[in-house]
Formats: sequence, C-alpha cells, structure tokens
Amino acid sequence: MIEEPYRWIEAIANRREYIEDQLRLGSPVVLLNHADGLLLLTVSRETRKIFEIYDRVAFSALGHPADIERMRLVAIDLAHIEGFNRAVADVSLRRLVNFGMAPALKTAFEQVFSAPYIVKMLLAELGDEPAQDCTLKLDYDGSFARSEMETREPFEVLAGTAEAEKAMLDYLLEHDGDPRRSLDESLKLAAAAWAIGMATAQDGRNKEGEESDTQEIDPGKVLKEALKTRHVEAAVLDRTAPATRRFRLLDEKEVRAAVKDL
Amino acid sequence: MDHLVSTPQFLHDGDFLSVLKAHGYEVAPRLAEAAAKFQHELGKGGIATEGTTVLAVKYKDGVAVAGDRRATAGNLVMYERAEKLINIDERSILAIAGVPAVAFEIARVLEHSFKYYQRSQLQEMSTAGKVRSLSKLLKENLPLTLQGVGMVVPIFATYEHADDKNEGGKVYFYDALGAQFEGVDYAASGSGSLAVRSVLHYLNTWGDKPLAKYNESEIVVTALRLLDTAADSDTATSGYNPKSNIFPLVRVITKQGIREVPESELGRVYRSDV
Repeated sequence: MIEEPYRWIEAIANRREYIEDQLRLGSPVVLLNHADGLLLLTVSRETRKIFEIYDRVAFSALGHPADIERMRLVAIDLAHIEGFNRAVADVSLRRLVNFGMAPALKTAFEQVFSAPYIVKMLLAELGDEPAQDCTLKLDYDGSFARSEMETREPFEVLAGTAEAEKAMLDYLLEHDGDPRRSLDESLKLAAAAWAIGMATAQDGRNKEGEESDTQEIDPGKVLKEALKTRHVEAAVLDRTAPATRRFRLLDEKEVRAAVKDL
Repeated sequence: MDHLVSTPQFLHDGDFLSVLKAHGYEVAPRLAEAAAKFQHELGKGGIATEGTTVLAVKYKDGVAVAGDRRATAGNLVMYERAEKLINIDERSILAIAGVPAVAFEIARVLEHSFKYYQRSQLQEMSTAGKVRSLSKLLKENLPLTLQGVGMVVPIFATYEHADDKNEGGKVYFYDALGAQFEGVDYAASGSGSLAVRSVLHYLNTWGDKPLAKYNESEIVVTALRLLDTAADSDTATSGYNPKSNIFPLVRVITKQGIREVPESELGRVYRSDV
C-alpha cells in the first residue's frame, strides 16, 4: 500500500480510468429470456465470449482475453469443487460470485502494485421456474449486482460503456414484445440490441463530449456490416433440455440465418 | 547449471482429481492399520457390502449394459434395489462390481472429471482419455485394494463418435489394480461373471449369428437371460423376482445416447422370452 492515503486514492482513480478505457470497445453481450429459458448473444471476432460454467450457470464477459480466461477457470473450479463436495443443486451464482469471484477481483483491483483484471462479466443462472432465473453483473473492481429476472424486465446487457448499456436497455424496453417470444424472435431482438450497443460505444469513442443519437442507428445495417468480419455467438440455458446440463451453444450457421434479415 | 530451461506449467490442464487433491481430497482414505483389523472382521462373516454381476455386450446399434440389483455382505442380503449402472456422461456408463462405497465415489469423481474437462478445456475428453481416467482412479484406490478392502472391478461402456470404422460401441474392463482391457465383443464382472462370459462365448461363437449383429430386442432378451443364468449358480446375483417385482437394470448406448429400457418393456420380455 502507498503510504499516503490520498495517493492511493489517486492511484485507484487512475487505474479505473485506464481500465474503463480498455473496456470501451469490447463487444457487447445481450441476455434475454425466451419461451424455454435464457439466451445469451454476442457478435465477436474469433475469440469465444459465452461459456458454460456449471449445469445451470452461464458466463459471458468483455475485456482482456487472458483475464476472461482466468475468471472463467476460477468460476469453473469453484463450481465443480462445490458441486462435487455437496451437490449440483448447491452451486448457486450468489455463492460463486459473493464468496469466490468478487473478493478476488476486489483484492486484485486494490493492490496498486500488482495488475488488475481488465474484465466485466455477466453471469446467468437458470432456475427450475422462470421466477427463479437470475443474472449477475460483476465488474473488474469486484462490485456486483444480482437481479432476479422476475422482478424486472427479463433482460440484461453488458457493454464497454454505461452509455452503450443504457442505449441497449432502452432499445430492448421499447421492442420487447411478447415475453414468451420464440427462440428465433429472441435471437433477432438480441442481435438488434447488440448492434445498438456496439454502434453507441463506437460513436461515443469518435465524438467524445457529444451525445450520440441512438435514433440514427440502424441495427440491421450495423449488424450486416459486422457479420462480414465477425461471427455471431449464441447460447441458451434451456429448461427443456433432456439432461441436467442446461447450457447449449447454438450452431453459428443457424443463428446467422435467423438474424441476417433484421 | 540446473534448470536452464524450466518447463512452463499449463495454466489449466482440466484435471479435476488434482484440483480435488489440492483441497485435501483422497479417493481412498489411508486405512493402513485399520484395514488390517477390518480384514479380520471381514473374515468373521463380513461387513463389507459387495455388488455383483454386471455385463456389457456390443450389438448392432451400440452397447447394451445390464446389472442385477442385489448387494450382499457375505450371506446377508444388504439391498435388493442396488443400481450398479451409473451414467457418467451422455454416452458412457460405468457398471460396477465390487464394493459399492468406493465404486460410487469413483463414479462421482469420474462424472465430475469429464464435465470439468469439457467445460474448462472447451473440448470433450477423448474416449481413450476417459478410459485412462478410470484406470488412474482405480490406481488411486490401490491402498484399499491391496488391503483386501474396497476392491472395485468396473466395466466402462461408451459410444465412440468417429468418422471411420472406429465408430460404435466400446467396452473396457479393468482388473483390481487398474489395468484396462478392451473387450472386443463383451465384458462381464462380479461373482456371476463367469457364467455370463461362458454363455456369451458360446453364443458368439456357435449361435445363430454373432452378438455384434443382434438388434435391440434380441440383445435385451439375451441380457435378461444371462442374468437369470448367473443367478442360478450364484446366490449373490438376483434374477427377476416376481414377488417383489424388481427388475435388473438394462440400458443401451447408441449414436443417440443412453436409453434405459423401461420396466414395462422388461416385464413384457420376461413374460414372453425369459
């Protein structure tokens, strides 16, 4: 620790600024419900962003690939040790994050002489009923926010800037439609929201200080452009899955076909 | 000049057992002195439960796996509803003969290991890797095995997806020390296994057609008949008991995965063909 508390605070502020800047252009992730469970979607370059952690727990992140990898492996280790020692049902998102991942992140962030994790995460847990589904957002500084999907709109987003996240949430609120929408409809909605987020983050980068105008963004156009060089990655946590493992990565070609005509 | 180049450590090699061990877990608790005493107690009439007779046979669509339901301790019937077939993943079954306590623990570690590997490494473990994992676990159990306590002789049955002639059902069996053997056509384990193997050899060599050409209903009938045969000469193996209506467990592993043959179907087969 730096001896003068003020200098420590300054160091933390610098760190925060640096990390926020690194995260700014990360590809957003959209989480939506659909008729049979939850859907996660992103459009990224080659590296994967959406992963299975445990039978009912999914993980997505943006940030530094090596840090994403480390957090993912930490989550998998914690979940499997607990699931083995007790039972599958005892592995909950709350325990994984509150007792495992968040403390580690906070410590890494506050130790100003060692490197922080440059990563923001969105985790989801599928319950037995839709009322028991929950999501958890976890930041590089260890702060986390858990929400039960029943008590609010059934979606969550992850993007590089607060502004982009707000734009995506606004778009989803406006175009939500039937909460029991099919998987295809959810894929389309999620892809559109992703496009809004990506464009907003990029606009924000170009015109700092000015408000970016989401009315101008055409999600179809942004998505079409992105799909030229990126692939769309989507996964579901499916309540109707035959086995206890609920996570399923969707076939890229099928997803691409579903979202290409927004 | 030691260690001019140090071998880098994998950040993560997907080995669940080493993670467990780092947290103080032991597959076979050290029982050195206690085991000797336990062994003495066993000799006096047995307090260790043993499960018996499991078999796996390759047929046209994959592998059929069957196990009787009796668990005994010496001449005492411990349990008549023991489940000796454990689904390890979507297309692998572990059939256990030997001491259930250790066998269930091994099955649990194995099941978690496969899932852990696939989730952390983002690719499924190969069949050869899975077979080897079980072998490693059995070797971990050596202390108990050598003391004569807690011996496990399992069968590992799986369906291998491949683009060549390697595709299809696979059967592996193990000795008490963990050596793995591939059963070309079938495998059986447990106190009733000798009877089962003898019949299978006869059928495969001189029957109407080789076992590998049997269809699903033929193999189910055969499996039930085999367990009945074993039960005839081995008290530790139960056949079908009409009074209590307890059936053996029969499952088939095919390209589509694992299917349990339901009791209704087993009952029908018993009435008509066994």
